[in-house]
Amino acid sequence: MSSIGTGYDLDVSTYSPDGRLFQIEYANKAVEAAGVAIGLRCSDGVVLAVERMLHSRLLVKGANRRIQSLDDHIGMASAGLLADAKNLGNRGRDEVHNYRDSYDSPITVQILSDRMSGYVQAHTCYGSSRPFGISTLLAGVDNTGPRLFCIEPSGVYYGYHGAAVGKGKALAKTELEKVLAKEGGVTCREGVMEVARIIHLVHDDNKDKEFELEMTWVCAESGGKHKAVPEDLLKEAEAAARAALEEGMEED
Amino acid sequence: MTNINSVDIKHLKNGEVNLGTSIMAVKFEGGVVIGADSRTTTGAYIANRVTDKLTHIHDRVYCCRSGSAADTQAVADIVHQHCQIYSSLYGTPPPVATVTSMFEKLCYTNKDQLSAGIIVAGWDAEAGGSVYNIPLGGGMFQQPWAIGGSGSTYVYGYCDATYQDGWNEEETVQFVKNTLALAMSRDGSSGGCIRMCVITKDKVQRHFIPGNELPRFWEGKEVVGAVAGVTA
Amino acid sequence: MTVQIQPQEEAVGFDFSNYARNQFLGQHMNGLPKATSTGTTIVGLKFGGGDSGEEEGVCLGADTRATAGDIVADKNCEKIHYLTPMIRCCGAGTAADTEFVTNLISSNLELHALSQGRPVRVVTAMTMLKQYLFRYQGHVGAHLVLGGVDSTGSHLFTIHAHGSTDKLPYVTMGSGSLAAMAVFESAYKPYLKREEAVALVARAIRAGIFNDLGSGSNVDVSIITKAGCETLRNYEMPNERGVKSRNYKFRRGTTAWVKENIRSLIVKEDVKITSGAGKEQPGIEPHPVPVGAGPGGEEGMDVDS
Repeated sequence: MSSIGTGYDLDVSTYSPDGRLFQIEYANKAVEAAGVAIGLRCSDGVVLAVERMLHSRLLVKGANRRIQSLDDHIGMASAGLLADAKNLGNRGRDEVHNYRDSYDSPITVQILSDRMSGYVQAHTCYGSSRPFGISTLLAGVDNTGPRLFCIEPSGVYYGYHGAAVGKGKALAKTELEKVLAKEGGVTCREGVMEVARIIHLVHDDNKDKEFELEMTWVCAESGGKHKAVPEDLLKEAEAAARAALEEGMEED
Repeated sequence: MTNINSVDIKHLKNGEVNLGTSIMAVKFEGGVVIGADSRTTTGAYIANRVTDKLTHIHDRVYCCRSGSAADTQAVADIVHQHCQIYSSLYGTPPPVATVTSMFEKLCYTNKDQLSAGIIVAGWDAEAGGSVYNIPLGGGMFQQPWAIGGSGSTYVYGYCDATYQDGWNEEETVQFVKNTLALAMSRDGSSGGCIRMCVITKDKVQRHFIPGNELPRFWEGKEVVGAVAGVTA
Repeated sequence: MTVQIQPQEEAVGFDFSNYARNQFLGQHMNGLPKATSTGTTIVGLKFGGGDSGEEEGVCLGADTRATAGDIVADKNCEKIHYLTPMIRCCGAGTAADTEFVTNLISSNLELHALSQGRPVRVVTAMTMLKQYLFRYQGHVGAHLVLGGVDSTGSHLFTIHAHGSTDKLPYVTMGSGSLAAMAVFESAYKPYLKREEAVALVARAIRAGIFNDLGSGSNVDVSIITKAGCETLRNYEMPNERGVKSRNYKFRRGTTAWVKENIRSLIVKEDVKITSGAGKEQPGIEPHPVPVGAGPGGEEGMDVDS
């Protein structure tokens, strides 16, 4: 028997004597080991980005995306077990469809987060299941404006101006705070540049594998829909990010 | 031999209470005006001469009911309940489009068992004032104005000829009042008084026109004694 | 050939499987037999409040005739049904349906009051009745006048068999409703005093009794105020049979007789306890079962001669 859990980590439905659920904490470990995902709520929309690790040179470039679309106007990025993310994405699309069916109007990001978090939480209640090994960022623009939420493996969810999950999230969060402290907020175009810079900053070229930057947004420029950031803008952002990094290194 | 399949549903529903009706809803800048006559009939008997066919669904959403009183009351009660659940679940009042889709679902899926013609109208933050018509088959149509019930057939021409975009509240109320008075004067199963509601962001204002104060139009010339020997 | 046995769903609601057969029989008879219908006059009236200076309340009234076709089935039936201590309901239409639907809802209202720990409201009774009647699409032939007093004031409703409801200050239902409504339409005023209301209700019921063939006999009245419910059974009896000046009874000895023969037809029987199947049982004295001479045996039965 593992000495750390001392028998209280054999299933999700057992509390440790000090009130912790070890299986959920282990699920958080799975998230922390994964490539970072960042969400930024801008003045005119939202931006999602992930650092997609390339564990093999044989992988097709630009394939195996980690950001999914749940509705026309809502995107989902996750850090952790990709298979779990696909499953949660399917559930999210079911909820989107179900809501549209009942009410004849698009779901809001908040209601979708609430419903999906209920599903995630249900996986922390029964001995027969395992908690989701992902933290999920839900971002979109609905009739209440740009919205960003993060669902954790425990099923808890919070609304954010800027959120980062996965490896190096602490550094990413400090950077996001600096970005958001800017007077008048940031636009999506500025947000894309900043988020690209943060992802490159967080990535450790020496230790980590190579990665691809995957980025989507919902804003006026994307027609209010969840779409990939245009290729030229993405290239520009990555170039600027690398330049900024070099500059930073020279200063050191 | 009589077969169960040939049973006439109308026969089984003999003696049902009907809303032989004139109902109407018109959109204007900032809200909607809805209106209805007040007659409820069972056959030739007026079961209620001061009926309120303008039915509260939520804070800023009402519906006008026509067809079977029992069916439309039941449907309105169910949607009313759905709306209460919606607002407590999501913390916002349901938009008019959402309320209408609830009506449409009930009316369409149960179309074989219902005789309900419903106009849904109200105000919401996204769309402002809006008017939806759900006729007998359970279709759903958004319109700037809608009329319904047995009396409506007499006034389609009047509405087409009279309605204009950009009316204010007062002009719209006058249009609804005149249209209903004309429909009620031609349709035997409409009549009584006119009830109206003006639904805007700030409030729901009710108007009541008693039967002896209805707008009057050309009603013919006095003919008593005009032709000697014919009049008694 | 194989016979497939399908799992049967539990039957719920009305069964129409005999409808075609009954139609067929109806065509070959003098029409189908009719259910007892309370061809009826029932009314309700709100009174009090405003400048009457009296407590507000509702007054319900009903005639007492029940008919089956053109036969008077009951000359003094009760049509004002109890729902709760402060809510009553007059029934017209199919007598069995009005009786059962009010009984059922009364029972459910009592349970509801117990679970909520407070008296039920009149709208609750109205909603339960309308939803029940709507479910049966008019096949439960109950046409009701519902009245009562609750924490929110006094209320009066009509409920039709298909489940539609109306809320009005004065209402009538049943075959005599036109006669009764004529009285209300000519004499109703808001804020009547209690005495005036009872008199007007009785007058409306009398209009039904005298002008509608389906209504007759006596006037029942119920008055409900915050203070409680007062039921005046047979408040008026305008159709009492008068004393006949002559009768058809024959005087004793009218018929001559030639002989008298009196026989006793009384059968006396002794019941003896036997132990079951002839077995001995503690505490029970055994008696031998008589053998021969057919059932009952020789002894045990005496016929007076």
